[in-house]
Amino acid sequence: MANAFGIINFSGRNIWVEGMQSYRPIGAFSFLGRYRVIDFPISNMTNSGIDHIQVYIRRKPRSLIEHLGTGRHYNINSKRGKLHILFSENGMDRDIYNNDIAAFIENMGCIERVNYPYVIIAPSYMVYSMDYDSLLRTHIDSGADITLLYHSVDNAREAYLSCNILELNRQKGVNAILPNHGNAKNRNIFMDTYVMKKELFIELVNKAHKLSSAYSLADVVSDECGELDIRGVAHRGYFGSITDFESYYAANMALVDSKTAMNLFDENWPIYTRTNDSSPTQYFETSEVKNSVVSNGCIIEGTVENSIIGRGCTIHSGAVVKNSVILPGAEIGKNVHVDNYVVDKNARLIRTKEIVAETGHPGYIRRDDVL
Amino acid sequence: MKQNNMLAMILAGGRGTRLHELTKKVAKPAVSYGGKYRIIDFPLSNCANSGIDVVGVLTQYESILLNSYVAAGRRWGLDAKDSGVYVLPPREKADANLDVYRGTADAISQNIDFIDSYSPDYLLILSGDHIYKMDYSEMLAHHKACGADATIAVIEVPLKEASRFGIMNANETGRIVEFEEKPKEPKSNLASMGIYIFDWKLLRKMLMADIKNPDSNHDFGKDIIPEMLRDGRSLYTYKFQGYWKDVGTIDSLWEANMDLLDKNNALDLSDNSWKIYTEDVTTPPHYIGPNADIKRAFITQGCILDGEVKNSVLFTNAKVMTGAKVYDSVLMPGAVVEEGAVVHRAIIADGVKIGKNAVVGDPNSEHIELISKRVKGDE
Repeated sequence: MANAFGIINFSGRNIWVEGMQSYRPIGAFSFLGRYRVIDFPISNMTNSGIDHIQVYIRRKPRSLIEHLGTGRHYNINSKRGKLHILFSENGMDRDIYNNDIAAFIENMGCIERVNYPYVIIAPSYMVYSMDYDSLLRTHIDSGADITLLYHSVDNAREAYLSCNILELNRQKGVNAILPNHGNAKNRNIFMDTYVMKKELFIELVNKAHKLSSAYSLADVVSDECGELDIRGVAHRGYFGSITDFESYYAANMALVDSKTAMNLFDENWPIYTRTNDSSPTQYFETSEVKNSVVSNGCIIEGTVENSIIGRGCTIHSGAVVKNSVILPGAEIGKNVHVDNYVVDKNARLIRTKEIVAETGHPGYIRRDDVL
Repeated sequence: MKQNNMLAMILAGGRGTRLHELTKKVAKPAVSYGGKYRIIDFPLSNCANSGIDVVGVLTQYESILLNSYVAAGRRWGLDAKDSGVYVLPPREKADANLDVYRGTADAISQNIDFIDSYSPDYLLILSGDHIYKMDYSEMLAHHKACGADATIAVIEVPLKEASRFGIMNANETGRIVEFEEKPKEPKSNLASMGIYIFDWKLLRKMLMADIKNPDSNHDFGKDIIPEMLRDGRSLYTYKFQGYWKDVGTIDSLWEANMDLLDKNNALDLSDNSWKIYTEDVTTPPHYIGPNADIKRAFITQGCILDGEVKNSVLFTNAKVMTGAKVYDSVLMPGAVVEEGAVVHRAIIADGVKIGKNAVVGDPNSEHIELISKRVKGDE
């Protein structure tokens, strides 16, 4: 069991996923058909033996609270453990004040009462597998004050543009946390994941609060790079950063490839989610499905290629779905052709027959919409 | 118990010998069905959906898996404060020796103390190895409306098959006048589904007498129901319409799975108003590769498919590798059909591997082949 509690942090004001985020926070986004994004950080924590997890919510709490419930489906001990949902109400009316530091200050009592010496802070908007217990051991063995997780990429010019990057020295010491301006292709993308002592965390939150009401945790940690021993640890395997609409689409589509998916899913590292008790998926005589990921509860009579189909979708005969992410409960009508789209939950594409976006610029259909 | 004051007891001790290797280590109610379910999910989900809060499950044969499976009552939502699923294997008692359940009625008799602790007005007796969806609250309403001492759910079967069942002969009001177990010349086609509602006080009295009767088989069909008729008690039928299957053999288990492939099939597992609940597994959705060809199939999460799958039902984590072909078959959880292998008209048991280029089953066979051991292929 890890000697730490967990904090699942919300996305800051630098991040906005066009379309989808107006309905719910990124953590509540449907991901790969049957999951929600937040299932990954929470499962990482419970698999690492972290039993006390605080989930911070900045806005639109309904869908996330409904999904998290008591947290029993995440394999948290129902007596010893706790999934604590903390919704910040202050600063709702002025978005500039609605940041993570304000949320931590508002809930400081809850943080102080937790009886673990270390804290692991992970974002609710990034998808990856990570053993936080071994990360904590690395942190303790290194003697560092703060350990930050990063992922090295070679496409930082065109992707990860809402992410921060770590500027590292040769000893993996962090010189600075900076926004990714897209001016170099090789970058160490900061995975917004921190390990530190609880006492230091509280100290930094209080300091940030005094320095500026608009400061985020990343801002204050970056300020401390000269003073504290802050080190980076590289993450390997699948990394999906859901920080704008294109990256949501890309993070899903990358997992259509089963070899990539094997870098995320592991029998011994289950990803938990809330069950929906849907039946298996039914395929009919006219179905043509290739290179796709399909969730339970679907009825498939049409063609599906290179796509992700969420729970309980209906693909009618003659429908063609290509290169698309279809969220749960959507219906694709007879002879409707969808290509390169994200179709939000329960949308019904019935009358408009050609719904095609150009490659590289995926389109978006709103939740509950009828076309 | 508050809602309808009816407690359910599920008879789940059945061995299911005609399912051969599938029931070698698990009791029949725990056999997998329909891609993600076990057979006992059906009566348990029916109970939950009918507003029954307390369910006793009477287990006996190879019960380790079954006991741990049903004990997690929350799978069916049966875990509220006044609710629960209780596993009831035979046990030693202060005033009696440890004894197996000698018959269906004896299984209830040996648990009178359990039932009494809830003091129900009505007792619902169910079988743990039937596949169907039924609202027991409607059956109870019928029982009350008839003012019956006992109500037996019946289903119409083809008359030529009626001699395989317990047949109820009823008058025009539905009152049972005669019960015949597997009659050679059936007078009616109303077969007992093994689902009974009893007035608990009356049944309790009869069971107490039955325990002491040395000539009794301690069986509902053979002893209790005939005794009630002899006593002139009012027994009524409750006609069930819908899908109902007792999967006693490999062929009928296969058939019941194949029934799910039809559009608008009568069982309709996708009906959100009457869901069948089951174990929640943590696998990703199913993956369909670039070479796959899927037609008429029922496929659940965790499967990885890159071959041809036609007219088949695939359970959790089944794999069909590139170039493999699966026709008219059932792949149980974790079954693997390796590259180039071909499967016809077969049930591949849990976790069994069909090796590269191996061929099993026969498209023209009369019976379905059960493959319960690894089939070696080209290595």
